[in-house]
Amino acid sequence: MSRFRVADRGRIERSRTLSFTFDGQRYQGHPGDTLASALLANGVHLVGRSFKYHRPRGFLAAGSEEPNALVGVDRGPGRYEPNTRATVLELFEGLKATSQNRWPSLSLDVGAVNDALGPLFTAGFYYKTFMWPKGFWNKVYEPVIRHAAGLGRAPDKADADTYASRYAHCDVLVVGAGPAGLAAALASARAGAKVMVADEGAEMGGALLSDLSSRVDGVPASQWLADTLDELASLGTVTLLPRTTAIGYYHQNMVGLCQRVTDHLANAPSGAPRERLWRVRASQVVLAQGAIEKPLVFAGNDRPGVMLAGAARTYLNRYGVKVGERALVVTAHDSAWEAAFDLKQAGIAVPAILDTRRAVSDALLAKASALGIETLLGWTVSGTAGRLRVSSATVNPLGPSGKPGAGRRIDCDCVLMSGGWTPSVHLFSHSMGKLEWSEALQAYLPGEPREALRCAGAGTGVFTLQGALETGVEAGAAAARDAGFAGDAPRFAAQEEAASAGEAKADLPSASGSAYAKAFVDFQNDVTAKDVRLAVREGFRSIEHIKRYTTTGMATDQGKTSNINGLAIASGALGKPVPQVGLTTFRPPFTPTTFGAFIGYAKGELFDVTRKTPIDSWAERNRAVFEPVALWRRARYFPKGGESMEEAVRRECRATRSSVGIFDASTLGKIEVVGPDAAEFLNRLYVNAWTKLAPGRCRYGLLLGEDGFIRDDGVVGRLAQDRFHVTTTTGGAPRVLSIMEDYLQTEWPDLKVWVTSTTEEWAVIALNGPDARRVLEGLVEGIDLSPEAFPHMAVAEGTIMGLPLRLFRVSFTGELGFEVNVPARHGLAVWERLIEAGRPYGICPYGTETMHVLRAEKGYIIVGQETDGTVTPGDAGLGWAIGKAKPDFVGKRGLARPDLVASGRRQLVGLLTDDPGHVLEEGAQIVLDPAQSVPMKMVGHVTSSYWSEALGRSIALALVENGQALHGATVHVPMPDATFTAQVAGTVFYDPKGERLNG
Amino acid sequence: MLKTLDPLDTAVLPLRVAPAPALARFTLRIDPASRSMAGQAFGVSLPERIGALSQEGDRRAVQLGPDEWVLYAPEAEGQALAGRFRSLAEPHSLVATGDRELAFLVEGARAATALMAACPLDLDAMAAGTATRTVFDKVAILLVKESGERFRVECWRSFAPHLVGLLAVIERELAAGL
Repeated sequence: MSRFRVADRGRIERSRTLSFTFDGQRYQGHPGDTLASALLANGVHLVGRSFKYHRPRGFLAAGSEEPNALVGVDRGPGRYEPNTRATVLELFEGLKATSQNRWPSLSLDVGAVNDALGPLFTAGFYYKTFMWPKGFWNKVYEPVIRHAAGLGRAPDKADADTYASRYAHCDVLVVGAGPAGLAAALASARAGAKVMVADEGAEMGGALLSDLSSRVDGVPASQWLADTLDELASLGTVTLLPRTTAIGYYHQNMVGLCQRVTDHLANAPSGAPRERLWRVRASQVVLAQGAIEKPLVFAGNDRPGVMLAGAARTYLNRYGVKVGERALVVTAHDSAWEAAFDLKQAGIAVPAILDTRRAVSDALLAKASALGIETLLGWTVSGTAGRLRVSSATVNPLGPSGKPGAGRRIDCDCVLMSGGWTPSVHLFSHSMGKLEWSEALQAYLPGEPREALRCAGAGTGVFTLQGALETGVEAGAAAARDAGFAGDAPRFAAQEEAASAGEAKADLPSASGSAYAKAFVDFQNDVTAKDVRLAVREGFRSIEHIKRYTTTGMATDQGKTSNINGLAIASGALGKPVPQVGLTTFRPPFTPTTFGAFIGYAKGELFDVTRKTPIDSWAERNRAVFEPVALWRRARYFPKGGESMEEAVRRECRATRSSVGIFDASTLGKIEVVGPDAAEFLNRLYVNAWTKLAPGRCRYGLLLGEDGFIRDDGVVGRLAQDRFHVTTTTGGAPRVLSIMEDYLQTEWPDLKVWVTSTTEEWAVIALNGPDARRVLEGLVEGIDLSPEAFPHMAVAEGTIMGLPLRLFRVSFTGELGFEVNVPARHGLAVWERLIEAGRPYGICPYGTETMHVLRAEKGYIIVGQETDGTVTPGDAGLGWAIGKAKPDFVGKRGLARPDLVASGRRQLVGLLTDDPGHVLEEGAQIVLDPAQSVPMKMVGHVTSSYWSEALGRSIALALVENGQALHGATVHVPMPDATFTAQVAGTVFYDPKGERLNG
Repeated sequence: MLKTLDPLDTAVLPLRVAPAPALARFTLRIDPASRSMAGQAFGVSLPERIGALSQEGDRRAVQLGPDEWVLYAPEAEGQALAGRFRSLAEPHSLVATGDRELAFLVEGARAATALMAACPLDLDAMAAGTATRTVFDKVAILLVKESGERFRVECWRSFAPHLVGLLAVIERELAAGL
């Protein structure tokens, strides 16, 4: 056993030994240790260098509030994590941890020169020192500062761990499993409520885990704790979640919990996530988060070996570790006296208890005297000494005016300090509850809550065990009652060494006026009392501004140990009471939380939904190259051999125009509009006239917003008098459905018509090309495919391969075209059969790229490519689609707006480049006169641009001001390397008369 | 040290996820005033509360909205059923949606826990024999609680791989027992 372990104390499992390394040095600890307790057991206090001054730092605390002891943990490839607090990192076999922010080594750090340059690095030093020369900020100062200051290095590999999430619902959620939280949980659970208890610690119990002297109902506190946990577990209605931090309190009692599932295990079972984010919806919440001990602010209060008295007590009683052999206790609060007594009884020398108060209770004095501890009442500390560990402190009596007198040096290897306790009101503050300043406690306490919550225990400023149990029972019973469970509240009687008086000190009076003396307020961001006073002298008045100027409270610990001290110092400097100086806002998460926990399952394949069509597997087998379209992945082209995209698309275009191409159009949005008022509904919604469309016929439909701009388009087939099959764009399908439902529910509830999404009911296979009919003939039954019986824009129901078929004679290529709709589960089989039937004609599967080229050759628009939310039917050359005789439709009045009828609107035109081999860039801007000075007047932009295999040249579509009047004019497209010229043309490049449609 | 206590861990039955047998499925929209006529056409009276379901033999109706029901029948009876609704005089919309959806059965003592990994509803509190529209991760689903440990989950066909893939990960997570 190491010389800093105490034989008879601690909850660690001594029978097993764990090996670990810190900065490459091998050490040993036990299950139940944190990295912090194990290092302290090995006499290691120096664990890091500070953010700005690179000062040596040790452990300040024993819990999640630790600002100093941040380490990097390496669990193997993809499992490096910086900035882990050693005080909450559970020891496991083989743990590898390293210190941070030092070079070349922790004990010899070059950056420590910053400490000597301290006066340069005062509050706001960024803004003052590095203003000139201007250009140096980005290139020199900032990179150097970023390199020199900071915390751990960011991981550079993809995270190899998995993360989970879970929703949960309960009657009462208790946050914090100290005495107050456990009492609340018992009261709620015994009343019959479904209870969840979350505690950030590896073990539940909070302060009870390091309390060796108190008793509850006659049994030692540790026994009461074990009995209570047993009872809670046995009830079956209680979920106990240790290692689970309540990170945020959100609206309507939604509390986020981050559970550390495997970090404490040397070997995690396969499939187990590293962390799990719980989203708990609780009808009632009890917050029992406890309190955080305040450091005292005095020169050299950051030297390794200087730590919170309560932390030293925890290390001793919970982990069986002596934090030193000679502990000077410096305090303004009774609780440190108890710590001193515990340490002394464990065999640690306590040269003195120094209290800033001039008087304390006789009981404390008597006990100190009995233990042979010298007491110094009305004294202060003015400095500490020691290079990498404190070796002595200078203490001074306070004169009648409060001025420190002549100093006395006390040798020690640790200084245990306490400035009293700050109730943890973080989650209460997240919940938007109002905080109230307690003058007596010099602390903010939870006031009137805004959510269904109650607070209990030290978090409400009640610092006795009896008080914690009573407020816990009260909160738990009331929570259960409000959740609908009545029961007798349990009663507990605690016997304890109750001593909880203290005074609040801003910072301690100091004898030294040296510019190099540093009394730290915020240990993690290296902010001193002097910095806060400087900010006030420079005119900052609000704590929100002081915080940002000095960065106090802005580190990853959110100022858990520093906010109140900073506030007290600012309040003193401003001469205003604390509540008038304000309080900075606590924000989630309570403690630093991994990105992985927030991401949960959403990584890799599960990052997002990838929708695939029923024919996707065929495309994959046939080496399609895919592209994402909305959530879908669609086959973009099917390269053969070593074909490039350009070569494949040219081949697919040629085949479709000369024989037949086959295309998976299953992603097209489909909506079945059914009811006696179906035609009337479409009349009101779409610009087109529908009344006269006969069953068995289709029409191109155009949908506008009320503003008159194009929203969506698609072919609509009338299957029966009261039934329409509406198609939409792939990406627009959900939007169109919700527009329809919206109008039906809010504008025209009188219409007898209903809409149902059938996008995924049907697999859609488009056949295009002069041989398209020949492929279908012989497979389709019940439909006469002859041009006379089934002309362009016809729709009919029949069968194919004996399966239900909706056949559309439509074309998005300008060729003879059919769209075969079959029930989705049969899509692949029908596709494969059509490929086989098309083999004699050289049938060619094509993808979205060829589809784009073929439709552009015909001037067919794509909503979202030719339109951008500001394009009217007239702009797009689709004015013909508007039913002129209709009294109204969505967008009709919008189209009459002055701006929409004014001249000078951008209109869709074709562009033919003077160099037929040059394909313009989509999105390129168009000007009329390339000789203008920059910035030129831009009159439009290219919306689509392709190589047209059918024309043997490039083609483009563009939106150009007054474009329809510019036919034949020359426009210019300036690009970084050259300016291209093009002639304005019509939008239909291929088969302008549309004869091929009738093939 | 104390052991982690989680009453959920005492469950021993495994979680099972399997495709549900295919059924004829229709989305029915009709004025609730005509509910009884629609029930006659279907052969089973329609439930009268959103989330409720009625069942006779192998026909089932689930109410999803004020004027929306889903009707299930054996596959072979689908065509005849559609025919009977064609002769229903009351205005309505009956649309086949049997191919639009894929259905899965999620069973076992951890079924609710598994689904609540990505579904924000309280599925323990949900009454057996009721249904609801909700989400599972980013997938819109129709969830039927058949019994305490048996759920039917339906989603649009193209979302199914995401749903099944996520359930597989959750299955491994639950099997790990942590």
